[in-house]
Amino acid sequence: MADSDKVRLRLPSTIKSGDIVQVRALVLHPMERVERDAQGRIIQKNYNYVNKVIVTYLGKTILTFDTSQGVAENPFFSFTFRATAPGPLKVEFLDTTGGRFERTADIKFS
Amino acid sequence: MTDDCQVTRRTALGALGALGVVAAGGFVMGTPATARAQVLGLNESVQDTMKRLFGDRPIRDGEALVKVDFPPIAENGSVVPISVTVDSPMTPASYVKNIYIVADKNRIPFVTRVTLAPEAGRAFMGANIRLGETGDLRAIVEQSDGTLLAVKREVKVTVGGCGG
Amino acid sequence: MSRRPARRAARWAALVALCAACAGPTANAPDTASVPVWTSRATPEARGEFQVQPDGKRMAVRYRGWSTRDFNFRTYAYDDKRPEPAVQTVTMPAGVTGNPRLGHALFLSRAKGPCTGCHLIPGDDVWPAGNVGPDQSTIGDRKLTDQYLYQVIWDPRVFFPNTSMPPWGTVGVLSPEEVVHLVAYLQTLKGPVPPEKDPDRSPFTRRKPAGFGDNLDPTNNPAMLLADSAEARWTAKGPAGKACADCHEGGAASALKGVATRYPKFVKGYRRVMSIEDFLTVHGPETTGRPLLAESNDNLNLSMLIRRASNGMPMSVDTESLEARAAIARGKATFGRRVGERNHACADCHTVERGANKFLGGRLLADVTTGLTRHFPLWRTDRSEVWDMRKRFQWCMTPLGMNMLAADSVEYAELELYLATFDNGKPLSVPGIRH
Repeated sequence: MADSDKVRLRLPSTIKSGDIVQVRALVLHPMERVERDAQGRIIQKNYNYVNKVIVTYLGKTILTFDTSQGVAENPFFSFTFRATAPGPLKVEFLDTTGGRFERTADIKFS
Repeated sequence: MTDDCQVTRRTALGALGALGVVAAGGFVMGTPATARAQVLGLNESVQDTMKRLFGDRPIRDGEALVKVDFPPIAENGSVVPISVTVDSPMTPASYVKNIYIVADKNRIPFVTRVTLAPEAGRAFMGANIRLGETGDLRAIVEQSDGTLLAVKREVKVTVGGCGG
Repeated sequence: MSRRPARRAARWAALVALCAACAGPTANAPDTASVPVWTSRATPEARGEFQVQPDGKRMAVRYRGWSTRDFNFRTYAYDDKRPEPAVQTVTMPAGVTGNPRLGHALFLSRAKGPCTGCHLIPGDDVWPAGNVGPDQSTIGDRKLTDQYLYQVIWDPRVFFPNTSMPPWGTVGVLSPEEVVHLVAYLQTLKGPVPPEKDPDRSPFTRRKPAGFGDNLDPTNNPAMLLADSAEARWTAKGPAGKACADCHEGGAASALKGVATRYPKFVKGYRRVMSIEDFLTVHGPETTGRPLLAESNDNLNLSMLIRRASNGMPMSVDTESLEARAAIARGKATFGRRVGERNHACADCHTVERGANKFLGGRLLADVTTGLTRHFPLWRTDRSEVWDMRKRFQWCMTPLGMNMLAADSVEYAELELYLATFDNGKPLSVPGIRH
């Protein structure tokens, strides 16, 4: 099971059918920065950082972020989706070491 | 002429170096296919990044449609909250396909690319980014018809001092 | 000459001398006799300790990435009786030709002041200058003598006894040659000053920092997740076979609601003032058997968990009991005590009469009377870690140029209590989030 303890999602408490809903997602992740040696050369190693965020709504990928190490440590990502039907909204974070972090919000209409 | 050659060589080496780093991570560690996607973030000049991402495609001024929320002053370069909203109907006939964030003075100028489907409802993205130093921050928007629009702002990065 | 007037004069002189001693700096020093000697229960890098190197030099044991220099100036320790550096009256050396270019570089050098930390000068590349001190952009027009400028930079206390400006030459940050170059540079700064192209360049017109948004939003403040992680600690049995929850029924949010509003406080059993973090260092081992060392992740995360249980409630630290009054008096004295290489007191930056609400470099200085403790522990974005109040105190020691005390020292606790009196009546909001 992908590590969801390290992910938080924030959505509005009431969602109506057809709303364009703003979502914030945060993942605890070191987002390792490029290190350089005394001569200024990049130290070759497998840097551990989130390089992909995948947002899936009702089973379809609606949005992705491709990211470099230029995104902050413990990054948040914010996006919107059009709430057309109740169902799952999944946010998945993938990192360069094979790490996967995800959390799913169950969209309900009120 | 000589200068250009030297720059190209240095950039190529830098690109190879960075590719080596990410490729090793991608293939050796067996990351899922989606995470091994095209390497976008390379250690290079911003001119090279722009050329690599967009080639010679014309990039128009996006001020009318692209609203960027970049802080004029960042309290530190480690965590800079930004967001971009593009005026777009987000219908299958006309939507924003990609929003690129590029930081001129970052050693890896490419920061992030958001790829959207019309189901996103609004052409909007937000994230916390890193900035190496004071410099321009760009948002480049690619429409579904291939049009490129760009907006940029200077972000001053506060260097920590006595109080931290 | 009659002997009586001479003897009377001698007696008067003795009396005057005695009174002068009484009226001197030690006369009003708070009573520290009742303060217990405290053995630190902090992590090794948080104790303010030293290692002696093979070459005999002392190296400070500090947090990773922090300066390990052994500063030879007075600290906040109650038993540190060293005086402030003595005021030096000096004469500008002849035979050194001042170089304005070198002076300009020195003015901006972060290895020195930088002077731009407090003083604005012209230049598009001057970023970010502060305005704690006067704008120097046209100081050359004032036609001050080189000697006067030399003395001000070397030791301004000769002219301004209560100045916030460090005595750079007296404490050895600047050499005589360097001050000569600075004087030469300053004398070139004449008007008219070019119109400001960018209002943010000048600290007098710069926008205030926007902050980092909602500190209680877990998608904004990573410290919220770390506090959440302490919930598991709450119910887990420690080495002594007990869990916090065994005595404090229910989760921390309900069991300890309101408790943090009264900390820091004098804890009778330990005869000293303690914050939540201090108290955990003794309470953990004696109940669950967990060490909960000061500045450990366990301690910080539990502290956030406990303190946020009182979010929204007004702070109400005791200011009435005899012990509280004595501790607050000592904390207040610490707040005004000049320490370190820079010879600064907290008051130099954090009171409106001096630096508060002004820019120190790029940082806006906070006013102590607004209450500065109720959002601690907080997430430091540029360090990606949680800081409690003590780590904040310890950090100040580097720019001030003094050795830090142990995180759980009584001196820090009483200083924190003094600061917390200004939070009284205002609501807690933990964890905070700052740059």
